[in-house]
Parts: sequence; C-alpha cells; structure tokens
Amino acid sequence: MPHDDHGHGHGHNPPAPMVDEISDFEALEIAVRELAIAKGLFTAEDHRKFTEFAEHIGPTPAARMVAKAWLDPEYKKLCLTDAIKASLAVGVNWLNPTGFGTPSDYTDLRVLEDTPTLHHVVVCTLCSCYPRPILGFQPEWYRTPNYRRRLVRWPRQVIAEFGLVLPPEVEIRVEDSNQKCRFIVMPMRPKGTEGWTEDQLTEIVTRDCLIGVALPRPGVTTNLKMPVHRAAKPAHH
Amino acid sequence: MSQHDRTHHAKIATGKGDPQCFKGTAGPPKFKVGERVRIRNLPDIFYTRCQVYTRGAIGEVAVVTHESPAPEDEAWGHVDKSEWFYIVRFRQKDLWPEYPDAFAKDTLQTEFSERWLEKV
Repeated sequence: MPHDDHGHGHGHNPPAPMVDEISDFEALEIAVRELAIAKGLFTAEDHRKFTEFAEHIGPTPAARMVAKAWLDPEYKKLCLTDAIKASLAVGVNWLNPTGFGTPSDYTDLRVLEDTPTLHHVVVCTLCSCYPRPILGFQPEWYRTPNYRRRLVRWPRQVIAEFGLVLPPEVEIRVEDSNQKCRFIVMPMRPKGTEGWTEDQLTEIVTRDCLIGVALPRPGVTTNLKMPVHRAAKPAHH
Repeated sequence: MSQHDRTHHAKIATGKGDPQCFKGTAGPPKFKVGERVRIRNLPDIFYTRCQVYTRGAIGEVAVVTHESPAPEDEAWGHVDKSEWFYIVRFRQKDLWPEYPDAFAKDTLQTEFSERWLEKV
C-alpha cells in the first residue's frame, strides 16, 4: 500500500496506533486472502466490497433488536427462538451480501437473555468469532489472546477490568463461541428508562453491553476505551 | 489440488445459509437437552474446534443447535457427512479446580459436534 500523504506533514491525521499482538490467525488470514486473490477465487475489488459491507454495519442493529425486545414481548420471543428471522426487523438479512452470508460468518444467531440471577458474557477462545452481520467488527481487545485466554477462566476478574462487578448471587455464564453459532447478550432493561422510546433505548445498548462486559445505564452511550498494553512476553516470529 | 470444487459451498448454501443448508442430513440427534455428557479426548490431526480445557469434563446439554459437517472434516473439504451440534453447559468448578468457591454458581457454555460427546 502506498502512503499518499507520506512526508506531507499532515499533523492532524496521526497514524493508527501500533497493535502489539498479531495472532497467528491474523497472519494466516492475510496469507490466505492473498493466495485466494492470486488464484482468482475472488478479486481484490470483491474483498474491498466485502470489507466495506462489514465495516458500515456497527452495533446499531443489535442494539435496536434489544430495545425492540424490551418494548415488545412478542418480538422478544422471536429473538429468543429465531434470531435470524428477528434480525430482519432491524434491517439485517444474514444472507447478505453473497446470498449465503458474509464470506466468513455463519448464519445461526442466538440471543442470550440475562435475568436478575444470570449474566452472560461472550468470547471466542479459538479466534474471534463474533456476530459481525449484526454487530459490526470486533473491538481490538476482543481479538487479543489476553481476553480470550482469561475470560473463560477468570471471567469475574476480566469483566471487573471493564468496570462490571457482579455479586456472587448472580451466576456468570461465559459463552465460548467456538462453532457456527454466533451470540449477542440481551441485558435487562435498566431502571430509570421508564417511558423511553425505542430510539432512546437503542442508544444505551452499547457494543460492550451486547458482548456482556458492561450493563446498559441511562446516560451511558459509549464503550469503555480499553488501553492497549505492550505485551509482557511478545512473540517473535 | 485443483480438482477441488471451490464453488461447492456457494452452491449448497445460497438462499439458505450455513448451517441451514445441512438441515435434515444427520439423522436423529443422539443426545437431548438436560442429558449429562462427558467430552471425549479424541486425537485430532492439525485442526479441531474442541478446546483442550473441556476434554474429559462432564457437563449438561443446554441446546441442540443444528446439523453440519464437523469442522475437523470440513477443514479438509469433506462435507458429505453431517453431525448434530450441542451447546454444553459446565460448572466452572468442573473445568478449573481453582475456581473460587464463592462463585460456585458460575457456568460456561460451549459447542461440540456429536463425536466429541459420550453418555455419562
């Protein structure tokens, strides 16, 4: 990739921060993609289109799904029994853009419903499986070996790092998303939102809430910025 | 290598999705919701999606999800044989002996193809 602005001194547009940990899977993805393009399985143009398709999504459709479910018990039932069908109501057809789904996501979405005594949190220990068609791209921390290795074993400590501390009476259920099912968490509707519209409710169901590392709160509409620490024992390839 | 049909997946999954395209291809499921199962420690060659931390552990079938070729086969392009998949729920204490007693209610769920499960 040529750097068009190289040496032009655009100080207001700093380069993206360096990522300390590149997993073997990420290196593998680049290698396979380049091979696939070289072999003519798809073109670089196709790849750009797929990437743009995925990048423009963002977590809003999933947030709206939860907000709608809070307001409409019938819709909530549909979310819990056939989330792929329920996705249509928030503008997401899981078969797009190819006719059989995105190039690397499967089409079996499950909605995990929180209760006063049960809280879900999602991880993929094998790579970074994530319901991208309805939630957009993963945050960087979700892909790190740090999150993936530790969440299954020390979930309470890890979610506490996101500011979420739950009492022992609440069962924490980790969902390790390691096959074709994809998951979002449906948190409970928080107090202080009585009489709110669907749009207002959608705003507080952040991406972090849908992964399960945060709970929705009135007034909170952004995700926690997790600092990227240098790896203590970086891998040298 | 060039004999492999790389459009096979598009052909079978278009208009249906994956795993929906494998519906009805695995016969009746061997396990049902609520049944206690042990995760087998099978050998795997180069590719598996069965995590080592679950092997030998006992859990309970939480959801019978769908039919699909097992990833251990699919990775090699073998998609002619399907299996049922199951989300299994474990007590965290059964996976990690050092898990704190104060949080004994905590659980973990993850998914397996049928070959990885055996009756307890």
